Amino acid sequence: MAVSLLSSSVVARACTTTGRRTHLIVSMQRGLIVAVLCVAVLSIAVPAHAYDEVGGTGGPCVGCHGGSVNSPSGPHGGYTATSKKCATCHSAHKAPAGGIVLLPAATVLATCQTCHDGTSGQGVYGVIKARTGVDPADPAESGAAHRMLDREVDPITAIPGGDSAGGGARTAAFSGTAGGLTCSDCHSPHGSNVVAAFTGDRARSTTDTAGLDSPSNFYSTRLLRQRPTSTDAAYASVTEYGSDWCAACHAGRLSWHELYNHPVEAATTYTGPGSAFTYESVARLTGAGASTTTLGSLGRNNFGYVMPDPRTAEQSGHEPICQQCHEDARDVGDVTLRTVDATEVFKITDVDGLPSDPVVNSDNPRFQVFPHESENDAFLIETDNDLCLNCHKQPAG
Amino acid sequence: MSRVRGFTARQTFTALAIVLVVVLVALLVYLYFFLRDGGIPQPKPTSSPGVESVWELYGPGEGDLPRFDGPMGVVVSEDGRVYVTDSGNNRICVFDTQGRFQSTFGSFGIAKPSQGATVTYEPGSLNYPVGLDLDDDGNVYVASFYNDSIEVFDAEGTPLRRFPDPATVVGRGGSGYGGTGIAVTDVAVHGDRVYATDAYQVVIFTREGEFVDQWGKPGRGEGDLDHPNGIAVSRDGETIYVSDTNHGRVTAFTTAGDVLWQVGTIPEGMDDRTAGDLQLPRGLAVDSDGSLLVTDAFSFEIIRISAEGEVLNRYGVRGVEPGQWNFANDVSVFRSFALVADKGNGRVQMVRLGR
Ligand code: HEC
Ligand code: HEC
Ligand code: HEC
Ligand code: HEC
Ligand code: HEC
Ligand code: HEC
Repeated sequence: MAVSLLSSSVVARACTTTGRRTHLIVSMQRGLIVAVLCVAVLSIAVPAHAYDEVGGTGGPCVGCHGGSVNSPSGPHGGYTATSKKCATCHSAHKAPAGGIVLLPAATVLATCQTCHDGTSGQGVYGVIKARTGVDPADPAESGAAHRMLDREVDPITAIPGGDSAGGGARTAAFSGTAGGLTCSDCHSPHGSNVVAAFTGDRARSTTDTAGLDSPSNFYSTRLLRQRPTSTDAAYASVTEYGSDWCAACHAGRLSWHELYNHPVEAATTYTGPGSAFTYESVARLTGAGASTTTLGSLGRNNFGYVMPDPRTAEQSGHEPICQQCHEDARDVGDVTLRTVDATEVFKITDVDGLPSDPVVNSDNPRFQVFPHESENDAFLIETDNDLCLNCHKQPAG
Repeated sequence: MSRVRGFTARQTFTALAIVLVVVLVALLVYLYFFLRDGGIPQPKPTSSPGVESVWELYGPGEGDLPRFDGPMGVVVSEDGRVYVTDSGNNRICVFDTQGRFQSTFGSFGIAKPSQGATVTYEPGSLNYPVGLDLDDDGNVYVASFYNDSIEVFDAEGTPLRRFPDPATVVGRGGSGYGGTGIAVTDVAVHGDRVYATDAYQVVIFTREGEFVDQWGKPGRGEGDLDHPNGIAVSRDGETIYVSDTNHGRVTAFTTAGDVLWQVGTIPEGMDDRTAGDLQLPRGLAVDSDGSLLVTDAFSFEIIRISAEGEVLNRYGVRGVEPGQWNFANDVSVFRSFALVADKGNGRVQMVRLGR
């Protein structure tokens, strides 16, 4: 590239010179010579790097794999639909008999990001910076991120709290560039083998006639895989979103490890009465300021983030799930003061830019993106004592 | 010695004169093409179907940020100023048509901060700039996506104004955060009109930013829109072309929003096995002959559609070499050349496309 730029600037200089005619001809000759040289150099120069697979039309894969991707299409109905689109991520070449191969790892990230930079679907990475100026993926700045680096050097391969034995970090082989973490490590692009649907905090962008605020718009699988890549050996697969899902990678963060000492509820380790809490079933307050609880989803309001003290019947013998401490940043209130109420600052129920015109929906909010990025360190919902006081009384004195 | 064997002096002179004339004519022809193309070097053939390459640029090549970060928009003025939205770096980079770096303008600033954060917006601030276009005076209109508004600069990059107000409901409403402003992905200027794409509609303003009209809605019917990411106006100003991105189609509308034609079909889901004319159409440009160039990010092609809505040609393949694209996002036309914002390769290319 440098070479061709050189030649063009030589040619170009001619146009800006005032003594036009002679200069022009001289420079044109020079330009010609350089251009010839440049073509020569370029034709010898080895291309920096090239895809070893350029995909072709991908037509064949549909014939062979038609049936195996007949999963619920979800909001992605469209983009994996046609033969050519298969080739965006897969290649028919060099495939073992009947198998499919993925194109270079960066493809998945680039494909997802084409839409999920916000322009064709919800923005995921980069949206916090767009709203706060702080980039959580930058280690020098505050906040937390499951970083997607897409680079050959120092990819993200260490899972903090991933070692089930000691509680420390574990090195994993993910599916991104150079074994780094990428979207398809947590999500299944095809929506195959995904967890049960759950009620998230954020509505999906939808044209559903039920309207944006309808519960069904909060209820989905988020295309989360039952077995995130690099799932700990102790896990068969996780069918419900909650602690066990996170612990598939972060097994060392389950209760009572040397390195981490807050008890955590997870089906894998739970021995108490009834069944373990999942995201869709935690003991949540029955209302603003209430001290009674009922089993329900953690999503859509703050009632599940508080555990009254003394604990209620539904809570006794239980411990919090990961998401009761790790979720989008918010302002929950205080268990002792019982200040939790529906009007409390809760950024996420500031719904999705409710349509001011019934036909013009919006796909907001665009900056609450747990567990991709968070304004708070370690993806904590609140910081310092504020967090602990959601469930514990301030020690006397 | 005074005679070349077998030729008279006169004959020799005539021969020489003919040679000279031929050389002169050749030079004039060369000069003609040279000036016509504004001194742009001769395009080089590539292995990419229908594409000859002229140059590739990976950034200004100087300053703190010498490289682009996912450039998503490109437009060229009649007098050969190339404006590139360097989306990840929140700035506009200016080059000449020979690919020489001129200047940058615009810097990061937040108009709609989340709770607890502060407004850092000042005139000229950008927040994920995507598409852009020029008016007849050479002013630059930039879709500042996360600021939910359009930022306008003069040709030199001096901020002039922004619209719509990101904190005010636009017309019957838009998709900006909190329902105010518009989640603008691309703009097209024609005469006194500025056409902008919002998540499910087209919003029309005057050049000064007065709201004029809006049309389009979500849904799967004719003319319905789902995340349009490209817009262009025909030379006569009568037809508005819109990349209905997530619907995998391009629709031609009248200025009042009535459908003239559409190319491409809405995918029906995972079981849809039809090839489809378009995969993920994004940036658009009208060529000098009135045909439309469509940047298709997922088919890795630039696609030419006639003004009547017929697919005429497809250019390029996926790759990293000159004339190839990797999730290209926008295209613009300069004389007989096309400029392509080749987002995935982090570069802008000047190419010549066949007819
Ligand atoms: C966005 C990238 C992407 C696109 C587009 C895509 N795939 Fe996949 N595909 C993947 C990934 C990643 C996997 C790895 C499977 C997994 O672990 O979920 C996969 C797995 C598969 C499998 C293995 C079974 C399964 O479901 O896990 C088949 C078969 C398959 N793809 C077929 C297709 C076909 C046919 C198309 C076009 C209709 C297609 N793919 C389009 C990314 C993609
Ligand atoms: C063609 C654009 C497009 C591409 C490419 C795309 N998405 Fe999406 N995605 C959408 C849209 C539109 C939605 C609906 C909600 C919204 O507006 O974000 C969505 C929704 C989702 C959801 C939420 C699903 C739910 O049930 O709530 C997840 C998770 C997701 N996408 C992940 C991915 C991943 C991972 C990739 C890459 C393999 C990807 N997307 C590629 C457009 C896209
Ligand atoms: C596919 C494996 C995987 C899954 C599943 C996963 N994580 Fe992680 N997690 C990682 C990796 C890898 C890192 C290191 C990321 C980095 O360095 O950018 C990490 C980092 C973290 C961090 C530290 C972030 C920081 O910046 O300090 C927290 C907290 C965390 N994860 C919580 C969770 C929670 C909660 C869940 C469940 C919602 C979860 N993780 C699911 C792999 C995973
Ligand atoms: C460490 C695991 C992990 C990785 C890596 C990851 N996601 Fe997610 N993603 C999740 C989880 C968990 C949720 C559901 C969060 C919730 O609803 O509380 C989610 C939700 C989403 C949603 C739906 C957002 C919503 O508000 O409902 C989209 C879209 C999405 N992810 C896209 C992506 C894209 C694109 C990438 C890659 C650039 C990616 N994700 C990488 C774990 C991950
Ligand atoms: C009672 C609240 C609470 C619960 C429940 C909880 N965490 Fe944490 N987590 C924290 C706090 C506080 C920190 C920050 C201090 C620290 O690193 O110990 C943290 C830190 C982390 C880190 C960062 C570790 C590092 O080395 O950077 C990871 C990863 C993590 N938690 C994962 C999980 C997972 C996975 C679960 C569920 C299995 C979980 N946590 C449950 C409060 C909690
Ligand atoms: C979502 C609610 C919740 C949050 C937030 C929380 N805890 Fe707990 N914590 C519990 C529950 C439930 C137990 C199990 C014993 C119980 O019911 O008190 C527990 C147990 C403990 C214990 C062990 C005490 C014992 O007797 O077993 C300590 C110490 C503790 N928490 C400290 C903290 C600190 C420090 C924080 C803030 C970083 C915190 N907790 C945040 C709910 C929470």
